[in-house]
Amino acid sequence: MSKKLLILFVVLLIAVMALAACSKEATPAPTQEQAAEEKAPASVEECKVVFGAAVSLTGKYAKEGEYVKNGYELYVEEINKQGGIPVGDKRCKVELKIYDDESNADRSAQLVEKLITEDKVTFLLGPYGSGNTFATTAIAEKYKVPMVEANGAATKIFNRGFKYSFAVLTPAPNYLRDIIDMALDKDPNLKTVAIVIENGAFALEVAQGAKEYAEEKGLEVVYFDKYAKAAKDVSSLITAMKSKNPDIVLGAGHLQDSILVMKQSKDLGLSPKVFGFSVGPTSPEFRKALGKDADYVLGAAQWTPELKYESDDIFGTPQHFSELYEAKYGETPPYQAAESAAALIAYQKAIEAAGGLDKDKVRDALAALDYDSFYGKLKFNEQGMNIYKPMAVMQNYTDGGLYTVWPKEAAVKEFLYPFVPWDQR
Amino acid sequence: METLQLTQGVVNAILLSGTLTLVAIGFSIVWGILNIINLAHGAFLMVGAYITYWLFTLYGIDPFLSLPISMITMFVVGYVVQRYLINLVIRAPLLVTFLLTFAMEIVIINLATFFWKGDLRSVTPDYAGLGFAIGDVQVPYVRLAAFIISLVLTGLLHVFMTYTKTGNAIRATGMDIDAARLQGVRIPQTYALTYALGTALAAGAGTLISISFPIDPTMGGAYTLRAFVICVLGGLGSIPGVILGALLFSFIEVFSGIWAPSLKDAIALLVLVLVLIFRPSGIAGKAFYH
Repeated sequence: MSKKLLILFVVLLIAVMALAACSKEATPAPTQEQAAEEKAPASVEECKVVFGAAVSLTGKYAKEGEYVKNGYELYVEEINKQGGIPVGDKRCKVELKIYDDESNADRSAQLVEKLITEDKVTFLLGPYGSGNTFATTAIAEKYKVPMVEANGAATKIFNRGFKYSFAVLTPAPNYLRDIIDMALDKDPNLKTVAIVIENGAFALEVAQGAKEYAEEKGLEVVYFDKYAKAAKDVSSLITAMKSKNPDIVLGAGHLQDSILVMKQSKDLGLSPKVFGFSVGPTSPEFRKALGKDADYVLGAAQWTPELKYESDDIFGTPQHFSELYEAKYGETPPYQAAESAAALIAYQKAIEAAGGLDKDKVRDALAALDYDSFYGKLKFNEQGMNIYKPMAVMQNYTDGGLYTVWPKEAAVKEFLYPFVPWDQR
Repeated sequence: METLQLTQGVVNAILLSGTLTLVAIGFSIVWGILNIINLAHGAFLMVGAYITYWLFTLYGIDPFLSLPISMITMFVVGYVVQRYLINLVIRAPLLVTFLLTFAMEIVIINLATFFWKGDLRSVTPDYAGLGFAIGDVQVPYVRLAAFIISLVLTGLLHVFMTYTKTGNAIRATGMDIDAARLQGVRIPQTYALTYALGTALAAGAGTLISISFPIDPTMGGAYTLRAFVICVLGGLGSIPGVILGALLFSFIEVFSGIWAPSLKDAIALLVLVLVLIFRPSGIAGKAFYH
């Protein structure tokens, strides 16, 4: 019996590996959205710019990926209403080509390679998430095609000396700083922080950045541990955190992680004074999944509809972007949509400056870009990161709304403090 | 280590063991009686979870009430699948049935991903997250209910296997198929019934899991693996063995999760390897559904 079992176990392992391999071999299914392009005979006059991206439409990051796709599509729709991107004295129609990377970094890289070599897209946009962005930027670099990405915040993406990758969003280590600032501003007596971390590129940097910042601010980090990326049960970590009785609990991870942590915190009665997450609480999905249990929870935001930016781009202000988005998708835009649209604005401004679609000229124009968009400042340091834009904090309010509560000058509601313990609701 | 971690950990582990017993028991009877390592077990579990999710989301049916619906539906599915698919190769070498169930798993997961998308979903009745406290230790109602239901279902299975004619026929088939046939047991029907039972139990487990944890089309694989480990830990072919295996596994999983969360899976599988080396017939030793 034991021999049989051992053999079976080995076969099982091989089978699992085979499955992984098979799923990689499958041909990519194009989404309906891109079916629009009909291969009209190319005339000399015709001008179009094709942006290609692999985005997670299924899998763990399906929801965030959907926001990214929405952001890209909203920009394309709006710019084409104006006839396209101005290039020299004519306007170029904009097209999008999007594949589903199934929330898988290897798949994302393969699809980007396909976008470059087979679909021959003009420029690349980023996928969702640091892991996938890390993989795809390497492909962009290999083929010397610019990629402006909007959803990979890990600094390790940019520590490789790449020349063709640019990120419009604020880097990961800064994500949770504003929540710490805001909490201490409200209550200087807060002493302890617990940080629970998804074991992935982005979250690890968020957590490390938050830890360093918290310690700098005189807080004691009493819990700092990570769970597997695909974890669906973190009750052990919650139990361990609860025994430390922290004042602040910070979650470094993505939407599904923050929902899971909140659900199980309620199960196990973990009630700190402040609950904040890097990603999740700012998207409508968070409230949908948790209902009343989303109350008081803070989320770091790259952007919020209430910020006071003014711009001469096609959206003009965060408020106008928000109106257009709501009209098209029926919900207030999560920041992932805004930053994704901002990536295209960066391209537009660079193309205008370069006066053409030459990949290297546009790359140089991107590197030199300094533009105030509806999303905030678009400017890249030598590595390609946008370190010039601050973050904001949003809170899920007891009235069911989601409001900007930080920075103070953009706050539309006061920060509700403290988090009301589960057993007192 | 703080007392709370220990006490809450013990409670978590015990509650988890109930659901895992249910997950593993269906896997165990199919393995024990049909000699099939049913890799599609987790996929059936996932379908059960989705039946509950859709009934709750579309029609507002309470997840606990959907338990019989999900179990009966999957019982029928399991019966048909065994009778008209697996039965075709039941005499073939073990590897063939192994690969067949593997293929079934891929097909089911792919269909689920296609129709339902890969999003994580949650069943959230009003009482989700409520519970009571003993001192500082929290006991969520939902998990307690899942624990009790799992034990009741396991108990019912034990009664069925021990005290009914059909149950005895199933056990007899597992012990000695030729002798059973000579005694008038109709083997194909018995096989199909056993597989259907295993599938229904998987679906029941899926229903209970969907109330406490988020679900997605690929959720099943992790449970198939757990069922496998639990069967090996507890020894094949005994209900008490499965309960013991599930309890042991839950403690390993919960406490490795507290002490070294990122090594949780590695530790659980390391235990499997150790058991295979030192106690290949399982902690409880060999038995046959007594």
